[in-house]
Amino acid sequence: MLGRRGALRFLAVPPYVWLGLFFVLPLVLIVAISFRPETGPINFDDPWALSLVQYQRVWETESYLRLLGVSVLMALVVAGSATLLAYPVAYFLAFRARDRAVFYLVLLLIPFAASYLLKIMAWRLMLGQEGAINSFLQYIGLTAEPLDLLLYSRAAVIIALVYVWIPFAALPIYAAMQRINRGHQEAAADLGAGPWSRFWRITVPLSLPGALAAFFMVFIPTVGEYVTPSLVGGTEGFMYGNLIQDFFTSAANWAQGSALAVIMLVVTLVLVIVALRVVDVRRLSS
Amino acid sequence: MLARTHRLRAAPALFATIALILASCQGAEPQELLVLEWAGYEADDFWTDFQTANPEVPVDFEFGTTDADILSLMQAGSQADIFHFYTGWQQFYVDEGLVREIDTSKLTNWDAVPADMQALGQIDGKQYFIPWDWGFSSILYNTEEIPDGISSWNALFNEEYAGHVSMWDDGPAAVTVSAYINGWDETAITDEQLAQIEEDWIAQKPLNIHYWDSEYENLCPEVKSGEIWVAYAWQGCYADALYAGAPVAYANPDEGRNSWVGLYGINADTDSYELALQFLDLKLAELTCGNAVTLFYYGCANGDVMAAVEDPVLIEAFGINDPGILETTNFTPPVTAEQRDAWTAMWTRVKAE
Amino acid sequence: MTGVGVGRTRVPLRATYVGMLLLLYFPIALLFLFSISENSSLSFPIQGLTLDWYREVFEDASLLEAARNSLVVGGVAATLATLIGFSVSVAVVRFRFRGRAGLVGLAGLPLIVPFIVLGVSLFLLFIFVDIPRSLATIAIGHTVVAVPFASLILLARMIGLDPNLEDAAMDLGATYRATLRRVVVPLMGTSLLSAWLTCFIVSFDEVAIALFLAGGDPTFPIFLYGQLRFAQRLPVLIAMAVLLMIGTVTLTLIAFRLGRRRA
Repeated sequence: MLGRRGALRFLAVPPYVWLGLFFVLPLVLIVAISFRPETGPINFDDPWALSLVQYQRVWETESYLRLLGVSVLMALVVAGSATLLAYPVAYFLAFRARDRAVFYLVLLLIPFAASYLLKIMAWRLMLGQEGAINSFLQYIGLTAEPLDLLLYSRAAVIIALVYVWIPFAALPIYAAMQRINRGHQEAAADLGAGPWSRFWRITVPLSLPGALAAFFMVFIPTVGEYVTPSLVGGTEGFMYGNLIQDFFTSAANWAQGSALAVIMLVVTLVLVIVALRVVDVRRLSS
Repeated sequence: MLARTHRLRAAPALFATIALILASCQGAEPQELLVLEWAGYEADDFWTDFQTANPEVPVDFEFGTTDADILSLMQAGSQADIFHFYTGWQQFYVDEGLVREIDTSKLTNWDAVPADMQALGQIDGKQYFIPWDWGFSSILYNTEEIPDGISSWNALFNEEYAGHVSMWDDGPAAVTVSAYINGWDETAITDEQLAQIEEDWIAQKPLNIHYWDSEYENLCPEVKSGEIWVAYAWQGCYADALYAGAPVAYANPDEGRNSWVGLYGINADTDSYELALQFLDLKLAELTCGNAVTLFYYGCANGDVMAAVEDPVLIEAFGINDPGILETTNFTPPVTAEQRDAWTAMWTRVKAE
Repeated sequence: MTGVGVGRTRVPLRATYVGMLLLLYFPIALLFLFSISENSSLSFPIQGLTLDWYREVFEDASLLEAARNSLVVGGVAATLATLIGFSVSVAVVRFRFRGRAGLVGLAGLPLIVPFIVLGVSLFLLFIFVDIPRSLATIAIGHTVVAVPFASLILLARMIGLDPNLEDAAMDLGATYRATLRRVVVPLMGTSLLSAWLTCFIVSFDEVAIALFLAGGDPTFPIFLYGQLRFAQRLPVLIAMAVLLMIGTVTLTLIAFRLGRRRA
C-alpha cells in the first residue's frame, strides 16, 4: 500500500533507538565496567583494563553471596504473600462483584496513588516504639512497654513491601480471571463437580498465568529493593540492593558495584527462565 | 473532530519538547549556588549573613551522609559549587582535581581564623579549603538508663545495652573506635588488626537498634524518646536532646574523645567562583559562625567568636574551662586511599553479614 | 450466582475484600488524620484539628518546586513512553518485519530488570558520556521504566482494532501516516489516555531510580526522602501528598469518565 512501508520505518525506528540508547547501552556498559579492576569511582579517560578481580572478590566474600540468597528469599516471601493475599480479592472482583467490579477495582487502586515513601513512613511511624500503634496501645492501657520487634527488622521490610504491592498484584490475576469462560464452570457443575472441585480444577489453572504474572511483577523489583530496607530494615533488614547502593555512594567502588549488579541480574533472569520452564512443563502434562 | 484530535496529538509532543528544554535549562544562570552539605547544615542560621547580603540569590542544597559519600558524589560529577567534608580527606580532592584554590585575600574574615586551623586547609602551601565547624565525636548516653555513666568507647559493645545502641554508618569511624579501644595506631592498622576489627563489629551489629546516617533523622529523635541509650554521636544531638529536656550526657571516655574539623572547598568546575567565595567568607562572619556554636554546640573556626563564649552549658560541652580536654582528645589523621578503600570495604562486609 | 465459583461455600470473599480495603486505607487514613491534626509530630493523643498544614503547603517554595518538578518529569516521561508504546503497538500489530518479535521483547524487557540496576547503569552511562544529571536524566530513566506499561496497554487495544477501518481510509487516498493520525489515534483515544496516565503515575512516585539520576533539582519523592529527617516537617509534607493524591485520583476518574462516554 502507498506509504505503508515508509511508515514502518517511522514507527519501528524510534523505539529501537530510544531503548537501544537508554536501556541496552547502559546494561552493556555496566557489564563492561564490571570487568575493570579499579576500586573507587572510575575515570573513563583511563585505559580499559580487563580483569575478573571484581567477580573474584564477590565469590570470596561469603557474606555477599549469603545476602543475595537472603534477598532472593525475602523477595520470594513478599511476592508469594502478595500474590496469595491478592488472589481472593481478585476472585471477589472477577466473580462476585458483577457490575460494581470496576468501582471496587478503582477503590482498591486509589491507595496506589498515595506516595510510596509516605506509606512506608506511615508504617514506620505506626510500628516504631514511639509510633502510633505503640502510643495508642499504651494510651488505651493495653501495653505498658513498647513492642520493638515490628520495626528495624527483616519482618518490617517484608510487611511494608507486601502492603505496598497487594493492589498491584491483584490486577493481572483479575485480568486472567475475567477471561475465564463461565461456560467451563457451568459445564463442570452440570457434570456434578462441587464448588471446591470446580475451583481447583478450572479456576485455579486458568487463572494461573495471571497469578504467575503477579508473582514475577512483585518478585523482580523486590530482589533489588533498597529504599524500603534503608527506611525500616535497620541492621537486620539490609538487602542486596543496599549493597549495590553502598558501592555507588558511600563505599564508592563502581566496578565492584557493577559486578554485584550483573550477578543479581543474571540470577533474576535465570530464576525467571527456570520458573517459566517449570510452569510450561506442568501445562504440557495437564 | 478529527482536526481537534490532530491538534491534541501535537500538543503532547510540543509540551514534551518545551518541558525537556526547560528542564535542561535549569541552572544555566550563574547567580545561584548549590552546596553539597551534611544534614542540618542547610538551616538558614548557618548562612544567614550571606542571605542578608544577597537576599535575591537562591541557595540550594544536596546531601551526603559520610565523607566517603561526599567524595564519591564529587567524583561522580556533582554540580555543587561548594562542598563540605571533614579532616583526613583533603588530599583526595586535590589529587583528583576536584577543588579550586581559594584566594584568601578576598576573604574579610580570614584573619579571625587561628593559624593552625588555616593550616588544616592547605595542601603543598596552597589554601584549598576553609575550616568552619569543629567538634567532638564521643558517646552520647541516657543518664536515666545508665546512671553510672560511661567511661570507655567499648560501651558501644556492651551487651547490657542490646537493642538500644546506635553506631554511625561509617567504616573509618568504626576503625577509629576500635583503634582507641585496643590502643592501636590508626595510621598503621595491619591486616590482622583489620580482620579483628571486622569480627568485633560483626558481633556488635545485633546490639544496634539500627545504624544512623543522618543525625537529625534517625539519631536525635530516638535519643530524645529514650529508645537509644548509647550512641556514637557528635555534639549536634547532644544539644538537641538537652534543649528537649532529655536526660543525656556526653561522655569523656578514658581513651579520649575524637575531634574533627569541617572544611569547605569550591568545586574546580564552578561557574560561580566569586559568589562561592563570598558565601564562604560570610560563613566565617560573627553571626553565622556563632550560630554553629549556640545552635549546634559545634566549635567554629572564627577565633574571636570562640573567645567570647560565656554560656556555662557551652563551656561545659566544649570543655573550654577544662585545660586538659584537648590533650586527651584524639585528632583524626589523614587517611590514605588504600586505607579508605579497605576500611569502607570492611564496613560493607559487616553490613552484609 | 449459584453454580459459579465457590458461591455457596463458607469462603468469606466479600469480607476478605473489605478487610483488604481497610488494611490498605488504614495508613492512608492515618496520614490524612495527621495532616489535619494540630500535633506537630505523628502520635496520639490528637490535640486538635486544623487546616494550617494545608495552608503552609502553599507558602513553602521548595516544596511547591519539588512538586512542580515531578509534574514536569512525569508529563515528559509519560508522553515519550506513550509515543514509543504507540509506535511499538502499530508496528508490531500491523506489519510483518524481521525484527518484529525483537521489538515486542525489547519493549517489555525493562520489566525484568530490577530498578536499582536500571538506575545505576544509567548513572554510569551519563557519567561516561559526560551528561550532568538533572530533571531531564530522571525523565529519561522514567521513560525507560514506563515503556513496557504503555506498550502493554496499547498493544492490547491495537490488537482489537479492526484493520478494515484503516484500509478504508487508505482506499480513499490517505497516506498511512495520515490514517494513523486521523483514524487510529482517535479510535485508540481512551487507551492512549490510560497509557499516559499509567506512565505518569509510575513516574510521579518513582524514587529508586530517581535518586541515582537526580542533579540539583529534586522531584517530589526525592524531596520527601530528604525531608524525612525533620519530624516537624512531616504534617506539611503529608498535606502536600494528600493534595497530590486527590489530584491524581481526580485526573484518573475524569479520564475514566471521558473514556466511558466515548465508548
